[in-house]
Amino acid sequence: MMLIAGTVPIRDMPLTFGEASAGGDYLLVEGWRIPQTQGTGAMISAALATTGYLKTEASRVLLAGDIGQGRGSREIYEYLIQNIARLSPEVLALHYWLPDMAQTRRLCEAIEKCDRRTVLIADASSMYSAKAAGLAPFFDVFCPDTAEMAFLADLDATHPAYVRFMLFNDMERVPELVKAAYQRKNAAKLMLVKGAVDYIVKDGEVLATVNEPDVPAMEAIGGTGDIITGMISAFVYAGLEPHEAAIIAARANRMAGKMAGVTPANRVNQVINRFPDVFKQYLCQWSGVCTTGGVE
Amino acid sequence: MSILKKGKGAFAGGGLVLFNDVQEAMKAERVLKRAEYPVRLVAPPPELRRGCDLAVEINLVEQPGIERLLKRSDVGYVEVKPLKGSDAGILEIVRVTDFGDWLMVKAANMKLTFEKQSGKIVNTSGGGCPDIPYLHAEMLDKRVDEAPHPADIGYTLCALMLDRALEESRSLWEGGEGA
Repeated sequence: MMLIAGTVPIRDMPLTFGEASAGGDYLLVEGWRIPQTQGTGAMISAALATTGYLKTEASRVLLAGDIGQGRGSREIYEYLIQNIARLSPEVLALHYWLPDMAQTRRLCEAIEKCDRRTVLIADASSMYSAKAAGLAPFFDVFCPDTAEMAFLADLDATHPAYVRFMLFNDMERVPELVKAAYQRKNAAKLMLVKGAVDYIVKDGEVLATVNEPDVPAMEAIGGTGDIITGMISAFVYAGLEPHEAAIIAARANRMAGKMAGVTPANRVNQVINRFPDVFKQYLCQWSGVCTTGGVE
Repeated sequence: MSILKKGKGAFAGGGLVLFNDVQEAMKAERVLKRAEYPVRLVAPPPELRRGCDLAVEINLVEQPGIERLLKRSDVGYVEVKPLKGSDAGILEIVRVTDFGDWLMVKAANMKLTFEKQSGKIVNTSGGGCPDIPYLHAEMLDKRVDEAPHPADIGYTLCALMLDRALEESRSLWEGGEGA
């Protein structure tokens, strides 16, 4: 099972576990309509587009409504802590929630007790709480942008708002910050650093960079980082190594943005809608995944 | 050795609310607990002591929502500081990117993009706190001088950074740098 967990901006949505399906501009989960414009909804939509193309099992989702007050986030933490051993997903992708260091620690302790080691992917504020709790090396994949990379490299900061040095697309500094993050044990085993140049880094070593096609408008569009993480999760679940999944996701995201001809005023679903075309045209060439139905 | 063995303490919020007197600290704890914020009374480290021996430890990410609640509840506090790196203040710098018809304003991990001609917000991106998708929906398609302030309706540091981006966008728009 692949499981994506995170909050959605629906004030009264209770903790919900189930399957997601596409429904026009929304995701449908157990009768709830989830906006796919940004955040967990965008991530799930991208994962669905990817598993749909690969013909692998669709991700299960664990969602709760939360507009920042934390109640839905706490419900997700608690459900995962109590049930992760039973669920034992092969891939667990954590996304938007109120970062809570103590709960993140409890969750990692619960995961460590599982019979099967899940591939643990974190983006957005689940990445913030992992770093702030000193648990980044426990995670398999992080997907920071350049500002978040500065946060991971910062010795003390518990949130990007409190970093001492901020990086605004100064891509030459990324390797230096990556090195600092690994030295300070604030990095996951694999990281995809998103920016004008995407860096794929494993255990401190830059394995690859992706900078083509260059579609600067993508940075302005809410959710374009979230959908990369959704793709990575689905590709890892299909059997690719995390670094292979990250390289393909970085390329596919850029190519989908180019195909869609996006401007800064576009929505992320215009990018997601191009994924099947991108996969059809390039996936075999990029990855050797030339048949659908999972990675052979 | 497992990295998890290094763990300590049941609550590590990363932030302290500092007070001039004990009564205010205790009142703050009551108000915040009633609103379901996970908090606890602690002794501040010497370098953060401001007048009393009690502080309230909070989840630093929730700083904006907590400060708003304390002000509304008439609780007097001195300031909020991070526990680690207490000399660090909230990031003030912003960066502007010109996309031709649009300007993107970036504050820390948050970005806001508006159309130069109309002042209309066309996108927000970045961050990862649970109020951000909510704020995205609330702010989209509104003019920068008419959009709700994330600091007023959001709860987290991501919202505060988005508020910085909105303030800068308003300033650019009203100063005519947009059009």
